[in-house]
Amino acid sequence: MNDKLNRQVLQKHLAQLPATHPERRAAILPMMQALQIERGYLDDAAVEEVAHFTGLSTTEVEELATFYSLIYRRPVGRHVLRVCDSVCCSLRGADQLLVVAEKYSGVPLGKVTPDGAFSVLPSICLGLCDQAPAALVDGEAVGPLDEAALQALLQRLQVEG
Amino acid sequence: MEAVLTRHLDPNAPLGLQAYRAAGGYRSLDAAFDRKPEEIIEIVEAANLRGRGGAGFPCGLKWRLRGADAPHPRYLICNLDESEPGTFKDRYLLYGGPHQIIEAAIVSAYALQAEQVVIFVRGEYAKGGNGLKCAIEEAERAGLVGSNIRGSGFSLQIKVHLSSGRYICGEETAMTNAIEGRRPNPRPKIPRQSVKGLWDQPTTSNNVETLVNVPHILLNGANWFRDVGVNGGCGPKLFCVSGMVQRPGLFELPCGTPARELIFEHAGGLAEGHALLGFIPGGASTAFLLPKHLDVPMDFDPVAKAGSRLGTGSIIVLDDTTCPVQATLNLTRFFARESCGFCTPCRDGMPYLAQILTAIAAGEGQAEDLALLEELCGIITSHSFCAFAPGGVEPLVSSLQCFREHYESHIATGRCPFDAANKSGA
Amino acid sequence: MGTIRIDGREIPFKEGDNVLKAALAVGIEIPYFCYHDTLGSLGACRLCAVEITPKDPAKAPQVVMACLEPARDGLEVSVSALAARQVRQGVIEFLMINHPHDCPVCDEGGECHLQDMTVACGPPYRRYRGRKRTFTNQDLGPLVHHEMNRCITCYRCTRFYQEYALGDDLGAMRLRNEVYFGRFQDGPLASPFAGNLVEVCPTGVFTDAVFRQHFARVWDLKTAPSVCPHCSVGCNTLPGARDGTLRRIRNRFHAELNRWFICDRGRYGHQYSEHPARPLTPRVEDVKVSYRQALTAAAEQIKAARDKIGGLGSVREDLEGNAMLRALLYDLSGIFATFSDPQLEVATTTAVAQLQNTTRVLSLAEMEQVDAALIVGDLTAHAPMIDLALRQAYRNGAKLAVLHSGPTPLVRFAATTLTVPPHEIGAHLLRLNEWVAAPSAAHNKQEKELTDIATYLTAAHQPLLIGVIETMVAPEIAVLAQLSTALGSRARLAYALPGANAYGAALLTPASSTSAMLEAIESGQIQTLIVAGNDPLGDARLGARWRTACQRLNTLIVLDCVATATAEAADILLPVAAWAERSGTFVNYEGRAQGFASVFQRSEPLPSTAEVIADLAQCLGLAPPDAAVVLSDAFPGYQAPVPGTLGSPLAALPLPVQIDTTILPAKGPHPGRWQAALTSWYGDEPLAGFAPALLKLAPAAAALINPAIALSEGIAEGERVRLRGPVETMVLPVQLDNNVAAGTIALARGVLAQLGVGHGDPLELEKIS
Repeated sequence: MNDKLNRQVLQKHLAQLPATHPERRAAILPMMQALQIERGYLDDAAVEEVAHFTGLSTTEVEELATFYSLIYRRPVGRHVLRVCDSVCCSLRGADQLLVVAEKYSGVPLGKVTPDGAFSVLPSICLGLCDQAPAALVDGEAVGPLDEAALQALLQRLQVEG
Repeated sequence: MEAVLTRHLDPNAPLGLQAYRAAGGYRSLDAAFDRKPEEIIEIVEAANLRGRGGAGFPCGLKWRLRGADAPHPRYLICNLDESEPGTFKDRYLLYGGPHQIIEAAIVSAYALQAEQVVIFVRGEYAKGGNGLKCAIEEAERAGLVGSNIRGSGFSLQIKVHLSSGRYICGEETAMTNAIEGRRPNPRPKIPRQSVKGLWDQPTTSNNVETLVNVPHILLNGANWFRDVGVNGGCGPKLFCVSGMVQRPGLFELPCGTPARELIFEHAGGLAEGHALLGFIPGGASTAFLLPKHLDVPMDFDPVAKAGSRLGTGSIIVLDDTTCPVQATLNLTRFFARESCGFCTPCRDGMPYLAQILTAIAAGEGQAEDLALLEELCGIITSHSFCAFAPGGVEPLVSSLQCFREHYESHIATGRCPFDAANKSGA
Repeated sequence: MGTIRIDGREIPFKEGDNVLKAALAVGIEIPYFCYHDTLGSLGACRLCAVEITPKDPAKAPQVVMACLEPARDGLEVSVSALAARQVRQGVIEFLMINHPHDCPVCDEGGECHLQDMTVACGPPYRRYRGRKRTFTNQDLGPLVHHEMNRCITCYRCTRFYQEYALGDDLGAMRLRNEVYFGRFQDGPLASPFAGNLVEVCPTGVFTDAVFRQHFARVWDLKTAPSVCPHCSVGCNTLPGARDGTLRRIRNRFHAELNRWFICDRGRYGHQYSEHPARPLTPRVEDVKVSYRQALTAAAEQIKAARDKIGGLGSVREDLEGNAMLRALLYDLSGIFATFSDPQLEVATTTAVAQLQNTTRVLSLAEMEQVDAALIVGDLTAHAPMIDLALRQAYRNGAKLAVLHSGPTPLVRFAATTLTVPPHEIGAHLLRLNEWVAAPSAAHNKQEKELTDIATYLTAAHQPLLIGVIETMVAPEIAVLAQLSTALGSRARLAYALPGANAYGAALLTPASSTSAMLEAIESGQIQTLIVAGNDPLGDARLGARWRTACQRLNTLIVLDCVATATAEAADILLPVAAWAERSGTFVNYEGRAQGFASVFQRSEPLPSTAEVIADLAQCLGLAPPDAAVVLSDAFPGYQAPVPGTLGSPLAALPLPVQIDTTILPAKGPHPGRWQAALTSWYGDEPLAGFAPALLKLAPAAAALINPAIALSEGIAEGERVRLRGPVETMVLPVQLDNNVAAGTIALARGVLAQLGVGHGDPLELEKIS
């Protein structure tokens, strides 16, 4: 069933290519995004699937997959917390937030917590400098954060599972 | 100043098509379709609308240089890949009022006689991108986008390209590669994008803030636009203020408003008892300015004259609790991390700078490091492939001048004075 | 045209040249990394910084990248300017930040462009104090070794691999200073041209994995200009030897042929000359003897046989060896032939006769410029570098059409593909001829494809027609030539011939000599057979017949440098020098005679075929023939081409052409039966078949069948089927492949030989219940 859904999504992306220049490689990124939404991250099988549907090689897909920061080629937790570490957030305490997050999660930044609940990923500027220090929780903006708010947030993610 | 671009913005409840029209939205379509495309370009030129994405290139001139006889299909790329630290103005435009962007895209594409607009939205703004897609569908259903719009004979498709991160995608030619599904490395300057851009067709790229000015210029005229500015600036400008201020935020003010007014009036000034160390006027890729520059009008030429760039008009404020070496290191690391890896000076030079700065910030710098930094910056600035690295070293080069004594004291004392201050204060 | 001035020196340039190209052309060495003569400018490495002085004296001099700066008349350039030198020094410093400085143990040592540039431009001492970035390497297969830490990210590898050679399994991953050149996952590089990475890479990221196994420092290698012995293209190479053994092959620049690249068969096939089973000691009746003893024994047998003697030369034997053998046989009134299969003899001589009739055959460099090509057969396996040339034509917008029976990599780039059983190739070629004579509308899919092909060919400024001789029969070859004539003077004809010296061998081959030879052996008319560099007993179609026939011989004398079935069966075996151990001449597909020099001698030196025959003649009491004399007898005005030169066309008397093309449409197996097709791969060639590293990449034996046909016959992928040939029966797994024609079973050369069938022969397939 999952496969069927994939195929539909992927084919939709192929169909959306500009008619004048239907180069299939333009569908790689949207396909990767669609598969990642479904699976949490882009595993090798997903890369192979994108290659299959675009008629490109797995290497050609991987060239793009490994370029983009929001395409995850490694497993992530059920929740992803992207903490901005760029200058505006850093000025307002982001570095300390990352230390706290790492300590709380018990695994290095970028890794999944043992219970699979979440991953904390340091991120470049999220465009939330007016809410610094800020983060995206599963794509939703949060900020300004302090240590207590961050811990409460991580706790909530863990409870939600 | 009466809000122009932000007048109907509401990130919590952006106006739908009906409400947007009720508020006067899409009126510029008639104003556009009543004119010949080249007339619109003339008006935009007369208004002296300069690019809001960072470079400040005159928009009308860019459009005219593409040429009226460029072959079809032609593309207009609307750059909404905002990723420059300190900059969040495009996020407001996207989340707050997608129809304003669509309206701007239509009239701009009409002026360029482009049959397709690609709005390139950064991956972190995925929700806003989805909202924009819905708004486009709404506009299509209303006959505002599609074939033969309102009987004008002009047909247009608007597509949203949702990206997946990476600052370099904001570079015009890297963006073209990204849309085509290639690695987002920049392309050579020749052939120009206006000749051979997206899918090898004539392509024009504009920042979204630049484009949303166009409908207002069409409705109110070039003179109105010029009159909106102050101190020689033209038009309304979205200013971001962030960093060590009381009320970070987005402020729509006349272009040319002095930095002092932005920082101390609109952004609430610094925390009680703290002094301004310096500020970045135009986003992370622009040079530091000092308190003595507070009265410089925030407009392209005056800021350039002061030794920096207006860039995206995003002020980042440093106060006396912030270590300028640390802040500069953070900025340099950002560029080292986001380098696409195409050309040597950027790919290997930026991490080299970051390594030296890391040592200095940690109190492990050496006396010759400052000269070495300056030497390396010189090579990186002038000899990299695209504008990424030159922008990347701008804050460092200026930081070495503006805050020299801080660097020297880090090296001389073997520690960061701010660390000690924070520790003793804690 | 015009001139630029570089540090005061006037340099001419061609329209479209950049400053770097113009400078390099006259030997001015502006340092560079990412630029490549064939791949062009990229502008990524930023090393080729030069200073240009604007005409306006008010303007300051400017440092620019020479590779991106168009040469324009009067441009003032300085390579030596301080500002430019500082930039180059800075760039080298950046590039060396993460380089491991493992030069003492690096295979690139002695030919490292990075080291040269660092010494030429770089700062004398290292200033970077940080940690180095490190990578994990990949296993890229048996041919190319990967050492990513040395990478300077010049992008030459992917530009060659992806953009130029159109491979898709090597790419640039990740970003910033972590850009990684590799594959999606570990595994052998799939491109037949992957080995060029070794030379394209300016440092030791990609090195020769075969050379590495038996490494020598490059300045210790003996080299001499050579020509590749593995197909009819005649790429120029530079073998390197040390301590009496051959270690590696590099490309050697030939402006009209291979230029900067060679294929992997050419680069790695040389391992045959160091194969453990290679015959190095003469044998008489399985007893090791001295060269003298073997010669004497051979002479005695030849004398005993009187005129009942035959001599079989070879398409892989050099011109000298073949000509000498032929001369000896004339003196002995015996029969001389060069092919083991009469069908291949007629095919090859027909092709050469057609080429003699045609306008000059296109060089590889010229083939890159054609705008349409009809390819009959699988060029990748039979002439890999012609495939690469046509990939360039494709990149330039040429329409490629492929008419074939089995898998061929070029279909990926084909505008139109016609996949038909071997026996229908001729009919399609005839139909194309008819269409060109009188264009007509298409009524079905196949006709549509034919019409497309004909349209490409007729619309092109320069269409190329090229056929693979080993998988064609003479009438098809002739019809292809007729098509070329019908297309007019714009059209060019070429054939991929079945051996490095097939052209030369064909010119020396008496008509119908192969059948004459075989029949003479069978009837006892030949008692002693001398075979030089040929393997009739291993012939796919006729091996069994040869084996039976040769049992009637008194003596089989074999001269070879590989342990073929024929060499194994020899009564007297005279090992000869492999090509790098002797000098000689090959005539390539164009008819270009190219000399190759002796690179080295083994510790126990071996004679060349020509030398063995000269010695044999002496033993026989004949006037010892001299190769130069023999060749000028055969080819009027013959002058031996000097190794290292471009080579010269071989002047020869025209071969007779006797072809009846009307037999074509009738040919073919009975309906309902299967037909065998040779499916080959780029490592598949008699000599390279003894190269262990290449063999590791050989596809597994399988019966390749079209999926639609398999479906209708109820055969599934992986299912084992029984194949019944005239000699043997074999059980093989089925592999479904869209590029196999209906009614066709595509099989590897070895499988065909075992079954005893040739390309196009009927074959029985049985399902195993």
